[in-house]
Amino acid sequence: MAEPVLEVHDLRVTFDTEGGLVPAVDGIDFSVAAGQTLAIVGESGSGKSVSSAAVMGILPSNAEVKGEVLLDGRELVGLPSDELRKIRGNDIALVFQDALSALNPYYTVGWQVAEAYRLHHDVSKKAAFQRAIELLDKVGIPDAARRAKSYPHEFSGGMRQRVVIAMALVNDPRVLIADEPTTALDVTVQAQIMQLLADVQEEFGTALVLISHDLGVVAEVADDVLVMYAGRAAERGTVRDLFHRAAHPYSLGLLGAMPRIDVPPRPRLTTIPGSPPSPGSIKTGCPFQPRCAYTERVGERCITERPELTPRPGEGDHEAACHLGRRPEAVV
Amino acid sequence: MPDILWFIIRRLLATVLVMLALSLAVYLIFYAIPADPAHLACGKPCTPDRLEQARHFMQLDQSTIQQYLNFLKGIFAGRTFGEGAAAVHCNAPCFGYSFPLARPVTTLILDRLPVTASIAVGAAVLWLIIGVSLGVVAALNRGRPLDRLAVGVALIGVSTPSFLLGLLAILVFGFWLNMVPVNGYVPFSESPVDWAWHLVTPWLVLAVLQAASYIRLTRAQMLEELNLDHITTARAKGAGEARVVVTHGLRGALVPIVTLFGLDLGGLLGGAILTEKVFSMQGLGELLISAVGQLDVAVVVGVTLFSAFLIIVANLVVDIVHGALDPRVSHG
Repeated sequence: MAEPVLEVHDLRVTFDTEGGLVPAVDGIDFSVAAGQTLAIVGESGSGKSVSSAAVMGILPSNAEVKGEVLLDGRELVGLPSDELRKIRGNDIALVFQDALSALNPYYTVGWQVAEAYRLHHDVSKKAAFQRAIELLDKVGIPDAARRAKSYPHEFSGGMRQRVVIAMALVNDPRVLIADEPTTALDVTVQAQIMQLLADVQEEFGTALVLISHDLGVVAEVADDVLVMYAGRAAERGTVRDLFHRAAHPYSLGLLGAMPRIDVPPRPRLTTIPGSPPSPGSIKTGCPFQPRCAYTERVGERCITERPELTPRPGEGDHEAACHLGRRPEAVV
Repeated sequence: MPDILWFIIRRLLATVLVMLALSLAVYLIFYAIPADPAHLACGKPCTPDRLEQARHFMQLDQSTIQQYLNFLKGIFAGRTFGEGAAAVHCNAPCFGYSFPLARPVTTLILDRLPVTASIAVGAAVLWLIIGVSLGVVAALNRGRPLDRLAVGVALIGVSTPSFLLGLLAILVFGFWLNMVPVNGYVPFSESPVDWAWHLVTPWLVLAVLQAASYIRLTRAQMLEELNLDHITTARAKGAGEARVVVTHGLRGALVPIVTLFGLDLGGLLGGAILTEKVFSMQGLGELLISAVGQLDVAVVVGVTLFSAFLIIVANLVVDIVHGALDPRVSHG
């Protein structure tokens, strides 16, 4: 595998709230190389978005970030805010989930894309606006020169998401973090946006971190997958490892909950019983244990001992955090 | 901008109707009072003959509706009271004639307006600056001592009557410290320095009291605004904190602040009654109060209508500015 652009080691994020310290991300590792796509998968509250915000350094002030975030080998955690500011939006850019709320309603989209450019380049407003039009055109906004003067509310959802992507790409970032970029969109538009991201990646060799709970999208575009559960890594590996050799009961549960047309129809989709634990509520044992169908087979260990990531058969570095030694058979 | 033009024309037409209804209401209220203005004009001793003469001269012997129609006619055509050498002319636009002051109401209002406008506009600029900046500071330091201080100042400001603070200011800065003049007004055209020097205390008194509501409003708006997703976008783009707060945060909080400001200023231009009284300034408020004392109905009606007109105009201006500030608002 190529040299990673972004490497994250033992990332921990703790929120200091009125109810005490809440660990939202509890030691995760991942890396992504130029032109590659890493998908981070998990339910709401599993720490996916917090991890990406931590990498960007845009968490609220009550969050404490520990661990290493290396961009081309340069440590970002603990950098002075001024240095970080130069990296944000320039080397690492973020595509948000909800483009309507991510855009400022009071400024034209051209202005907003141009602002992102001006923040990192010493150019005239006019030149920046030209650059914005160029990018809006590149992401497929028709009649970009005219539409650049429109406000966000004058665009459709898909077009707005293109604007947000243009804003993220305007500085040719090394890493693009897309936080559920298609969740708020129609299925047909979703495909267009994913295609756009793939095109961009091919053209610029951008490393893409895709945060998603849409396993269909993940199967299509990702090279590597990180499955997160309760702020920790449940499983990671290549996309084929996950879809063909999933080793963690949670991954199996996610796969089982996904509708498929390539297998004989089941009477109904399987679901994972229960709901994800609130961060920090499970102190000992496996965080997935209360919802796990395999606990009885393993026994006491699931309750007393926290499973660490251990190697599993597969391509490259397939790992899962589960006490089940071998790949579990699906339990129906 | 034909849309906005039509909007203004429609609103101005509506304003005329509102003013008509309002003038009738005000007229009926003040002419329903049991006291007889002619009695005061007649002097002592007042023979029935002279009283009748005065009533006729002041056109009080006509029916109330006829008097109202005369009033309306006077606005466009002017009025003449009495005949021959003793006749009194009130040129169009005539909003009534003050017999106690022997001047047309229009002239009286125009004479007093600069005083009130000087007080109102100067104070408004001050309270806007003080209120908005303290509000922003409070929001940025939410829950910390600086926030508590600003909120406390706002609470005191909201609860203090202007005459109390005005008298205290005169006592402390005027008499004890002998820093500023304690009363009087110098026209701007005579000496701008003296003008400002005489006004600085009333400005500060009004500004401190009014700023309170702006601190609260700005604080609440900023807290809401800074929580929005597009603020995170601005940070993710690499915008510095000052830019995030002012360009992206305050911009969104501006609409309600401008609305409140327009209405407050419009209201104050109609007469800062207590402040004018405390600082012995001959403004519109002072004109109104002494007219009430002298049963000078024409002045009371005229000033009341003028104040109402200012508030309607302020509303119109606020609506127009609102459309200019928020691209999502259309005046269609």
